[in-house]
Amino acid sequence: MKLYSLSVLYKSEPKAVLLKAAYDVSSFSFFQRSSVQEFMTFTSQLIVERSAKGSRASVKEQEYLCHVYVRNDSLAGVVIADSEYPSRVAFTLLEKVLDEFSREVDSISWPVGSPATILYSALGDHLSRYQNPREADPMSKVQAELDETKIILARKQNSCCAIM
Amino acid sequence: MAETSEEVAVLVQRVVKDITNAFRRNPHMKELILSGTLNPIKDLHLGKLALTKFPKSPETWIHRRWVLQHLIQESSLPSFVMKANLGTIPAERTQRLIQEEMEVCGEAAGRYPSNYNAWSHRIWVLQHLAKLDVKILLDELSSTKHWASMHISDHSGFHYRQFLLKSLISQTVIDSSVLEQNSLRNEPALVLPKDEEAAASTEEPRINLPHLLEEEVEFSTDLIDSYPGHETLWCHRRHVFYLQHHLHGPQLSQAMEVDGLNDSSKHGYSQETKRLKRTPAPDSFGLEMEHRFVDQVLSTCRNVEQAKYANAYRKWLVTLSQ
Repeated sequence: MKLYSLSVLYKSEPKAVLLKAAYDVSSFSFFQRSSVQEFMTFTSQLIVERSAKGSRASVKEQEYLCHVYVRNDSLAGVVIADSEYPSRVAFTLLEKVLDEFSREVDSISWPVGSPATILYSALGDHLSRYQNPREADPMSKVQAELDETKIILARKQNSCCAIM
Repeated sequence: MAETSEEVAVLVQRVVKDITNAFRRNPHMKELILSGTLNPIKDLHLGKLALTKFPKSPETWIHRRWVLQHLIQESSLPSFVMKANLGTIPAERTQRLIQEEMEVCGEAAGRYPSNYNAWSHRIWVLQHLAKLDVKILLDELSSTKHWASMHISDHSGFHYRQFLLKSLISQTVIDSSVLEQNSLRNEPALVLPKDEEAAASTEEPRINLPHLLEEEVEFSTDLIDSYPGHETLWCHRRHVFYLQHHLHGPQLSQAMEVDGLNDSSKHGYSQETKRLKRTPAPDSFGLEMEHRFVDQVLSTCRNVEQAKYANAYRKWLVTLSQ
């Protein structure tokens, strides 16, 4: 059960802007790590571009599950996990992170921000804490599930992540 | 081992480049060990490193078993020592070997999902090095619990737990029949050890089998509720339920043979279903509890897969009472 990346983006048109990201690629062999990280950055951006404002979705790409939440104000979050990680907890994490981010980072800087200019350092912590979903979110089992999310199978589709 | 650093480099290169044949090529590793040129412990260490890159490699695991077998047979030290009540426990050296193997298997299991070869090796070690020692089985059951909860679709990991429970059941049956025989013979049952410490350390761990199985059911319930839609968890539940309710049934068959001539594992599935049909129906209270569990899951779940597995489980429960 693993989380690989957690990113905050801004859905501007036509491209999505990466604001901040954290990665855990420790389970990959040393030589794979940088290319896996690139793949995840690219995928996160692509998914936000293809998702509507005010939506949540889980996109399956190879053995990864990418959970995306785009808010109505265009602030977006993507967490890339394996297929064991419960989506419910992934969305709880995204909601929490975007909430915190919007309080700490002024919205004026979102459309033009980049990881270098954005001052928000909690992503790494959140990513490592949520590696164990039951420790990070013990009440998630009891809570009612979120509104319906679609699981999109993107294996051979041309519409998303075809290059991967 | 290889005496010069050049020889080491050659061996390492061989392992990295051609893991399939690394242990078989000339010079043949087995010959080196048999002639005393290569220290088996160092061979095991090399294998451990190889597994970090090739965690599945069947040749590496097979060779590893040969080396362990050789170590146990050829060493002049006993691999087992007597216990107070005429049972045996693994000697300290064997314990260390076993622990090391558990660690190597654990690491390899983490490197590749459902790493059948790693888990089969782990089972083999418990069967052939540890001789299904009860304390070791219990330790393994508790120490792999967290791993299983973090790898909920790792079927091999859960199968390992099923093996542990099955073995604990069969070992308890054996122990209690031995004790029965001793008491019938009316002989002094104990050969007293020489010192107090030995007596304390060789005490039989008390196993409460129904409690262990009940704990495993709770574990299964907890996981199924927390992580909806994972078939492995439902398969595991079937096995545990089966073990629980056939505890006093006909003798369970031997745990699967790895690398052995006995290929009953190939017929294992059909034997299980035959046994399933032959044995008396499990108690109705247990069945009712399970039906209620399925009801509870179906009434609260929103996950399509979870509903599918819950319904399949219910159908399976129904076949049990036919």
